[in-house]
Amino acid sequence: MLRFLSGFASYWMLLGKVFSRPEKVQIYYRQTMKELISLGIRSIGIVAIISFFMGAVITLQTAYNTENPIYPTYLIGLGCRDSILLEFSSTIVALILAGKVGSNIASEIGTMRVTEQIDALELMGVNSASYLILPKVVATLVFNPFLTLISIIVGILGGWIAGTSSGVITSQDFIYGIQYAFIPYYITYAIIKTLFFAFIITSVSAFQGYYVEGGSLEVGRASTKAVVYSSVTILLFNVILTQLLLS
Amino acid sequence: MIRAENITKRFGDREVLKDISATFEPGQTNLIIGKSGSGKTVFMKCLVGLLDIDEGSIWYDDVLFSKLDFRAKKEIRKDMGMLFQGSALFDSMTVEENVRFPLDMFTTMSYSEKLDRVNFCLHRVDIIDSNSLFPSELSGGMKKRVAIARAIALKPRYLFCDEPNSGLDPKTSIVIDALIKEITNELNMTTIVNTHDMNSVMENGEKIIFIEEGEKCWEGSKNEILKSDNKLLNEFVFANALAKQLKASTK
Ligand SMILES: Nc1ncnc2c1ncn2[C@@H]1O[C@H](COP(=O)(O)OP(=O)(O)O)[C@@H](O)[C@H]1O
Ligand SMILES: [Mg+2]
Repeated sequence: MLRFLSGFASYWMLLGKVFSRPEKVQIYYRQTMKELISLGIRSIGIVAIISFFMGAVITLQTAYNTENPIYPTYLIGLGCRDSILLEFSSTIVALILAGKVGSNIASEIGTMRVTEQIDALELMGVNSASYLILPKVVATLVFNPFLTLISIIVGILGGWIAGTSSGVITSQDFIYGIQYAFIPYYITYAIIKTLFFAFIITSVSAFQGYYVEGGSLEVGRASTKAVVYSSVTILLFNVILTQLLLS
Repeated sequence: MIRAENITKRFGDREVLKDISATFEPGQTNLIIGKSGSGKTVFMKCLVGLLDIDEGSIWYDDVLFSKLDFRAKKEIRKDMGMLFQGSALFDSMTVEENVRFPLDMFTTMSYSEKLDRVNFCLHRVDIIDSNSLFPSELSGGMKKRVAIARAIALKPRYLFCDEPNSGLDPKTSIVIDALIKEITNELNMTTIVNTHDMNSVMENGEKIIFIEEGEKCWEGSKNEILKSDNKLLNEFVFANALAKQLKASTK
């Protein structure tokens, strides 16, 4: 418990260092662009693939669960849309990104720690926490909402293709369903969650990497911890945010 | 000049440095020698402020460095260069970007001025036509040289080298030692080198401090080191069979 509290305190202290005034705005801008590519653009593929198949499965499962003639089939489209909007494209995608981006961040920063690259930065007088972490935080906050939108679109597309090609729903009913009783606020809700989750993934993983001591074994351990801790934190915040935003 | 007074450093309740005092003069290569695990790296990191000391004080000329806050330390850090044991080049940057990094961060030079300075430093350490290589494509000796070039990019007044020879073959070691010594003289820097390599001790040791188990046991020059009758020092210096025979034959 004591260790948890002191870890929590040093997490906030690290954030304090991260959000102090940047040395040279121009260099931070350049780093942020690099991170947009490595953390953002390079995640589009995995997000699209997973969203497509999850959209397909959600549609098929909704179809089998509503095989009763009293339900109109367009409800399948509606179910698919709401599952994707409310839960899948923000939370599940965040969990997947925690695995991909989180372990990537922790191992990159951890390696820099154990090979004294962070010491080298500090010795030059660079605020290493801010230089290494701030661009990543900014990049994921900016880009992850786009990943969520991509996931929503591709997920619904996957549902449409699976539903129509398996014959459980006509194209017309599906398209009617995804427009029926649409609540635009759900998109806002998904984006707000995404922003919180993006911050959690980046900051928790960077924290794990930044304080590694030892060698490559410890870097590996830190990157596992980064995934586990950020996933658990995401699940916790999912409950809190859902309660706050939807009630 | 750098002056350490009664430095004590603990990790938890383990005392890793015990009451060490030393003075390092400009224009010469100061060596800190000792077995591995004796506290050389910790001492050097305390000197540059990467680790906080528990007791004592560190002076850079007339400034009490160890009591400065982060911002004031930063000003003095601009006069420091350091060569880390594993070179600590930035993996994600090319050779040129590595050496240019401190210039990008701390100067208002134009791009072409920076490039001139980068090439000057790289030439100085004999790295030619490798500007666009990444650290993973360099040999150990080349990495050290690029790291030296990066350390001197901002014309530091103080140079710190942690085991510059570790992982190098004897011949490359000599080249690196000579390079550090020459650059020290050229820029009239205060240079401090950690080493456990007796070759470089006998080559470069204008001033030598011997640390054992976190305590300073001996201080002197390379000419005095062979004649000393300090028992711990002798055990360290004459560790191998050849050296023991030499010692016996001079008696
Ligand atoms: N961050 C640390 N935490 C705890 N102990 C440390 C730390 N860094 C170094 N030590 C201990 O301090 C002692 C001196 O280490 P070091 O200065 O690296 O020796 P060397 O002379 O080989 O450079 C070693 O026993 C090491 O275990
Ligand atoms: Mg060492």
